[in-house]
Amino acid sequence: MSTEKVDMFMMTHGKFFPSQHLGHIREKLTKLDDSKWSTVQVMQFKDPTTALILSLLVGALGVDRFYIGSTGLGVGKLLTCGGLGIWQIVDWFLIMGACREKNLEILQRSIY
Amino acid sequence: MYLEKNIYLTFSILCLFGYLWLGYNLNIQKKKAVDTQICFIKKTTGLPCPSCGSTRSVLSIINGDFSKALLINPLGFFVSVIMIALPIWITIDICRKRKTLYIAYKKTENIIKKKSISSLLIAFILINWIWNIIKEL
Repeated sequence: MSTEKVDMFMMTHGKFFPSQHLGHIREKLTKLDDSKWSTVQVMQFKDPTTALILSLLVGALGVDRFYIGSTGLGVGKLLTCGGLGIWQIVDWFLIMGACREKNLEILQRSIY
Repeated sequence: MYLEKNIYLTFSILCLFGYLWLGYNLNIQKKKAVDTQICFIKKTTGLPCPSCGSTRSVLSIINGDFSKALLINPLGFFVSVIMIALPIWITIDICRKRKTLYIAYKKTENIIKKKSISSLLIAFILINWIWNIIKEL
C-alpha cells in the first residue's frame, strides 16, 4: 500500500492500538497488497475510551469486558459481582490496554 | 497485563479468592450474623445486583439445603459447579501439559457470542435480576 494511505490509516486509527506495536503495524500495512485497503478501511474497532467509561459506570456487571469481546471474562466478572469489587477496580486501569490488544487481534486476524 | 492471554493464572487467582471468601463466610456463619455484604452496586444504589446472593446460595448448597439455594439465587449452582470443576481441570491440564481448558474456554466463548444463545442468557440474567429486586436480597 502507498505510504500516504498507511499514514492516513495510522493517523485516524492510531489510538485503537497499543503504542509499542504501531511501528510493526505500519510496516505490515506498507507491505500489504492494495486490494486489501478497502477491507482495512472499513474495519470496526472498539474504542478504548468507551471501554473505560463502561468500566467506570457498569464495571461490576462486566459490561466493559463484554464490550471489548472477552465474553468469558465478562461472565466471570458478572457472576462474581466484579470480582468482589477488586477486579472491577483493577480493570479501571487495565481495560484500555486490553481493548487495544483486542483491536490488534482483530486487525491481525484479517490482514495476516 | 493481559488477563486473557493467561487464562490459567486468571482462573487460579479467581478460584483462590472465591475459596478464601467462602471460607471467611463459613467462619462467620458459625459465629452468627455479621453483615458481610460488599457488593458495590448494592452499597451505592440499595438495589441488589444480578449475582447478589450467590455466596448465600453456595453456603446453602454446602449445608445441603438445595431448595433454599435455588430460592436465594439459582446462579449459586452454576458458581458451585465452576468452583469445583476449575481447580481440578487446571491441575489436570498442568500435569498433562495440555491446553484443553483454554480450547474449551474459547469454544464456549464462541457459542455464547451467537445471537440466539446470548439473547437467551441475557433474558435469564435480567429475569433473575428482577426476581432479586422483588425478593429484596
